Amino acid sequence: MANALLAPDLLRRLEAFELAAPRRSRGFARGERRSRARGHSVEFADYRDYAPGDDFRYLDWNLYGRLERLFLKLYEEERELPVTIALDASESMAFGEPRKFDFARRVAAAVGYVALCGFDRLRLSAFPDRPENQEAARGLRRVRGRASAPSFLAQMALLEAGGPADLSGALRRIALETRQPGLAVVISDFLDPAGYESGLKALWGRGFQVSAVQVLAPEEWAPAAAGDLRVVDCETGQAEEVTFGRYRLAAYQRVVRDYCDRLAAWCRRQGSPCFLARSDAPLEDLLLKKLRQAGIWG
Amino acid sequence: MHFLTPAAFGFALAMLAVILLYLLKRKRLVHLVPSTVLWRRYLAETRASAPFQRLRNSWILWLQLAWLALAVLALARPFRAAPTDQGRLLVMILDASASMQCRDEAPSRFEAARAQLGQWINSLQGSDQMVLIQAAAATEVRQSRTSDKGALRRALAGCETTDGPTRLAEAVKLADTLSKEQALAEIHLFSDGAAPDLQDVTLKTPQLAYHRVGRQGRNAGIVSVDVRAHPENPAERAVFVGVANFDTNEIKAELELRFEERLIGVKPLSLGPRETRPQVLLAPQDRDGVFTVRLNTEDDLAVDNQAWVWSPLPKPTRVLLVTKGNRFLSRALEAAPLVELTETADYGDGAGRFDVAVFDKVSPAAWPAGGILAFQAAGPDWFTNATTLEQPVIVDWNAAHPLLRFVSFDAVQVARSRAVPMPDWAVSLVEAPRASLILAGQRQQQRIIWVGFDILESTWPLRVSFPIFIANAVEWLSPASSQAGQFMVRTGSPLRLPAPRDLEGQAAAWTVIRPDGSRAVVPAEPGRAERFFGGTTRQGLYRVEAGGSRETYCVNLLDAPESDVTPRFELQVGKSAAAAVPPARLANLEGWRWIAAVGLGVLLFEWWFYHRRTA
Repeated sequence: MANALLAPDLLRRLEAFELAAPRRSRGFARGERRSRARGHSVEFADYRDYAPGDDFRYLDWNLYGRLERLFLKLYEEERELPVTIALDASESMAFGEPRKFDFARRVAAAVGYVALCGFDRLRLSAFPDRPENQEAARGLRRVRGRASAPSFLAQMALLEAGGPADLSGALRRIALETRQPGLAVVISDFLDPAGYESGLKALWGRGFQVSAVQVLAPEEWAPAAAGDLRVVDCETGQAEEVTFGRYRLAAYQRVVRDYCDRLAAWCRRQGSPCFLARSDAPLEDLLLKKLRQAGIWG
Repeated sequence: MHFLTPAAFGFALAMLAVILLYLLKRKRLVHLVPSTVLWRRYLAETRASAPFQRLRNSWILWLQLAWLALAVLALARPFRAAPTDQGRLLVMILDASASMQCRDEAPSRFEAARAQLGQWINSLQGSDQMVLIQAAAATEVRQSRTSDKGALRRALAGCETTDGPTRLAEAVKLADTLSKEQALAEIHLFSDGAAPDLQDVTLKTPQLAYHRVGRQGRNAGIVSVDVRAHPENPAERAVFVGVANFDTNEIKAELELRFEERLIGVKPLSLGPRETRPQVLLAPQDRDGVFTVRLNTEDDLAVDNQAWVWSPLPKPTRVLLVTKGNRFLSRALEAAPLVELTETADYGDGAGRFDVAVFDKVSPAAWPAGGILAFQAAGPDWFTNATTLEQPVIVDWNAAHPLLRFVSFDAVQVARSRAVPMPDWAVSLVEAPRASLILAGQRQQQRIIWVGFDILESTWPLRVSFPIFIANAVEWLSPASSQAGQFMVRTGSPLRLPAPRDLEGQAAAWTVIRPDGSRAVVPAEPGRAERFFGGTTRQGLYRVEAGGSRETYCVNLLDAPESDVTPRFELQVGKSAAAAVPPARLANLEGWRWIAAVGLGVLLFEWWFYHRRTA
């Protein structure tokens, strides 16, 4: 099942990556990420005065020899990095050839696999909540460790796209439900009529380090339909009348480009990387080059 | 500025179509998309909720409208009066006689001729002019000299066939008169050539083109019809029918006889090639009525396959004999069938209630209104300057006249006779070398027989021909006989409507009910008691109502040359001029209308393509 999403060769190459977290982890459980907490590791952090009851094993005897004062050596605590993947599984993601959702799911699987290989705690939240996805969603709510990767990939393969999206609502809910903010990767087409701004703001406000991946289908870049059209939104049913043809394609693509640039600029202002990908683009190119160059992982 | 075809301005309505196309929004194809977010940003310029959008100022629209205006103006064919060379004058004669209804051309010869003539109208060039004449029993100028093709087409569309015979001579003479002062004049005759009256025409116009229509002549028809009392059975009537086959093959047919639409009998016929055969059909008759004769056969001309004849029951003829004593004459009159004879020596009371008055050597002060048989009589109006011939020798007599049927003047000697100048209303029946001994004729609806000698001074009363002549005379002079021809006329000939006997009928409006049921009021002619109705273009029964009186007139074609529908490949006009069928001539048919119409189509296509390209 895993091979259906990601090729074994790609998985092997992804194992060499580790998700980059610019800020220290705020996780509770021990892991392999540096954190602000003091604990037991090999990384020296600071000294403090000895207090009765402290473990003698952490006294710096060399410093006592020079200063005749007892100082305790403090080490950094290594904790896990909570990684949240918000995957848009709405009806609009089911469009395109190849489908946007297939592409987005593979990107999410790759990010999740990298997180699991780095012993990060992974949570994948597919929205909207649909009964068809509930069973898979339960298995994706809290995953950790490399051993969970096959199960994770299998559950990912069970997800299906459908239903109306509420991107901002879903992101706000993730922000509220999360106790330990960490890294958040939002994979969507960001074409919600209600907008995406409030959702992303909620993640940033909660302390998430957000990365956005916008997936668009080739048909959204260059619609094949032409003439006098009545375009109908598949999610909302809202219709618009438009006259379109190949001579107006450039103007349309300018509109699309402006929309995507606006999202990217808005994310950049918040210090978050944003990637635009076509669903027919090679996945390896995105995963192994663009994401790495952008510092999502390294 | 004037226009040759102002009706073309109707094409200006296409401008409305262009504007409408600009206003009209097109039907949209439903297209499902993932989201309309991207589209909504793009839609502001094309968003609309009504079927029409606001008319935007577009230079392409103005260009299209200007192009269309110019095209419409060109279609209207503007012209201005300017001196130019004199064009041709085409005098077109369209034969509308009964034979043009022949169906050997689809749908008929007349329509084929009309189509040919329409092509000539289309080929009319700038300064050419055309005159359209319809020729049937009467000649009618349907369109006087003009270059207006629209008027000519309307006149041509108004032409229609009649059931009448062809009288082309009058039309050709009229065309010749119209074109004799024109340098470039042509007379074109569109006909099947069934015109026997053209040989007496002398043309001044050198060009007479005969456009033949018709391919074959498969036709049989009724060429004569009459009804008489049966000579052997007074209760029966004998209907004499002349049936002719004008085809070169044998034709089988059925001759059907009806009395007042009641079928009397059917007689099968087999007519040889170009054979004319008289037929006698016997029928009982108990009242006045109309016999209908119908020839049932499959031929190309239907109009001559039926005929009607009015048949009144025979009535006794009231005869007044004014004589001072003539036993031979009295006995002969008494022997004539259906005669009520009244003999008198004094004509003082007049003869108003008698049908026939016989004057034997008596000249009345005023002639009575009925038929007159006068022996050596002279009257106030005629035969006043008579001379006397001694022992005239009878040299000839007109045996074809109905009065001399079965009458011979062999061995008839006359002691003396009066000789009178021949009046224009009479024909000579019996002739001596220098004068006519017996005259007969019709003068102002009054039949008159004048015998110039005293029968007692001749051997005629001793011959068997004398009582036969008297019987023939009584029959010929009787009202039933004299009016029989009045009730049956040829198609195209006028109906002569005598004044009703009652004053109420004379004062009432006279109405003619045509065979198709339409009515026409016949106006009175000042100074004349009788009236005339000329609209007998269709054959059939014409009912005339005047007050309480009602008369039936039978209008029949009964024209053998017209029924002979064999197309004539050559027409003999005059004694030497022959109008042959002209060879096919190339006419300059205008095609710019079609090009302009294609231009309009291109314009509309351009609109469609423009919007499709920019869509």
